[in-house]
Amino acid sequence: MAALKRVQQWATFARIWHVFDASWQNPFESAELLKKYLMGLHKPIYHPMNDCGDHVIVINSLDIALPGDEWKKRVYFHHTGYPGGATWTLAWDLHKKDPTLRRYTMERLHIFPDLNVPQSLMKNVSNQIRQIRPVPKRLDAYSEKEVKEFPKIIDLPKDYILR
Amino acid sequence: MSNRHLFLVPKFITTPSQNGVGRYVCQLQRVVLKFCKNNGGSRGMREFIEHDLINYTKDNPGTVVYLKPRRHRGPVICAEYLNGEKQSIFCNNFSCEEIAKWLNLLLTQSGNHEGTRLRKMWHTENPSVQGPWTPYTFRDPTLNLAKFPNVDLSTPLSCPKTATEHLLELFEKQKNEKFENEKLD
Amino acid sequence: MAASLLNNLKLLTQKTAILASKTSLNAIIPGRGIKRWVAPTLRELEKRRKRMGPQQPNPRSSFLEWNYDAELYSFGKRLGEEFKTNLLQKAFTHRSYVIQRELTGNLTETFEDNSDLITEGDSVILKSIRQQYVRYPEEIVDAVCNYLMTNKMLAHVAFYLGTKDIVLTAEFPAEEETLANTFKAIVGALNRSTSEDRAHVFVSDFLICQLNGKDIYEVWDPKNPYDILKQLVGREIEPRLCNESASNTILANYQVGLYDNRQLLGIGWGESVEIAKETAAMHAIKKLYNF
Repeated sequence: MAALKRVQQWATFARIWHVFDASWQNPFESAELLKKYLMGLHKPIYHPMNDCGDHVIVINSLDIALPGDEWKKRVYFHHTGYPGGATWTLAWDLHKKDPTLRRYTMERLHIFPDLNVPQSLMKNVSNQIRQIRPVPKRLDAYSEKEVKEFPKIIDLPKDYILR
Repeated sequence: MSNRHLFLVPKFITTPSQNGVGRYVCQLQRVVLKFCKNNGGSRGMREFIEHDLINYTKDNPGTVVYLKPRRHRGPVICAEYLNGEKQSIFCNNFSCEEIAKWLNLLLTQSGNHEGTRLRKMWHTENPSVQGPWTPYTFRDPTLNLAKFPNVDLSTPLSCPKTATEHLLELFEKQKNEKFENEKLD
Repeated sequence: MAASLLNNLKLLTQKTAILASKTSLNAIIPGRGIKRWVAPTLRELEKRRKRMGPQQPNPRSSFLEWNYDAELYSFGKRLGEEFKTNLLQKAFTHRSYVIQRELTGNLTETFEDNSDLITEGDSVILKSIRQQYVRYPEEIVDAVCNYLMTNKMLAHVAFYLGTKDIVLTAEFPAEEETLANTFKAIVGALNRSTSEDRAHVFVSDFLICQLNGKDIYEVWDPKNPYDILKQLVGREIEPRLCNESASNTILANYQVGLYDNRQLLGIGWGESVEIAKETAAMHAIKKLYNF
């Protein structure tokens, strides 16, 4: 009895490791989605006092897509506490320095800038979370034939210079 | 909006020693009726003893009734249950009917529940028939064969039609129309 | 002692409640309410009680309101059984009590002690348990018998029948073994007063129903459930890993299913694959026997 009930509880509260590919994804929208998994809200056994959150591994965080002008316009503010210690860093600058989205309290969230994840962590993974927006296909991903056969709306004049 | 529950001891529903499962045993072991032979407050108690006590004992042979006349003291019903708990009810100025009601209530109780509240109105050993939820209950078994990270699993399930797709569709429709017109000619 | 202090406090709080209601209802009537001497008296009584040291609780039979014959009669009626009065009386008299009475020298009546009733009751109980579970294997029936016949279980049942005040023993309060023996003696007395069938019904109604809601593995602890299952099924069983999560961490969880010719026998979870296999075997045994 004790064994059966114990393993039943072990199974019900088991932690699942998910993997999420962040390439071409909006980090703010992705955060809303991943927040559910980290809190455990996707489980019917959820309770705020019940430590039922799952682990999420985020890969390709180097390739995240901020909407619109955000890369140019968003600034992150930091003050060291000392006089004259205020710094305003633009988003692209910060991303170059540290592409792992600056997490500090979320120990269950593991972020990696590209596909290199330690094998020991990848072994735990048992679920992949679907992305929010589809990954667009770049022009160089299409074959030449497809490019030629694609329906044209307008025909550019022959002396038109493309920038 | 009452705050009475703050001072009540919370308890769950239990039956002592699986009472109803085999056969039902009345949990009231003995009742001591203490009263004064003269004082006015014991009048209801005295009336009960004169008229209704014999019928009560005949109907419930499993409960022993003791009478304890005490001068200059108020009337009390002291009930003792099979689990050893005691309950005293001060019946000063109760009517005969009220005392009868209290005694019938004591028959149905399984212990002294004064100062307690029930946390849940039900209790079951088997809360789940199909088995409790595990993360594997609705898990697609094809996930077992997948190698992570997987491109197929990563794509979103539904996305709005892009302008490019719309264009391609229009082109296809145009082509089909042209083809059919040619066929008709 | 703490209980009496609590009682006194309860009385005090009740009196303060009455006082509050009286003062709120009318103008203050002088001299009503809790008198000045009440609290100091209670305090002095408490001090004297503490000085005397912890007192042993008194047995119910030493109270003024006690009628032994009435208690015996109502005991029989409460259980819904017809007992012969002398047999019932005998069932409650323990050897230690008889010896104590003989030593003190009051031999107004001869008491018979209940040793032979105990042995009779013991055999009747065992027989009725085995009769109930005829169709189950020997190992499990033995485990059930051992679980139900422990002194603790029998004493628990006897306590909730209301025997602790009626039983005649040398020591007070009655010990676990004494109560367990009392239950056996009651069964023996019932067996002699009425038929054995009624005794079997009595045992199943009071003792065997203690298994209600209990899982079989609380009673029986199989050492190698996988081997037992293999013997039961006869054929080869195939264990397969159904699901796993977090395999590299200490919170690893594996789900193993046991299949016999592509039919699922049982599922089990565990911290490691071996534990999961064992629990799956236990689940399969449970399903096979329909516990």
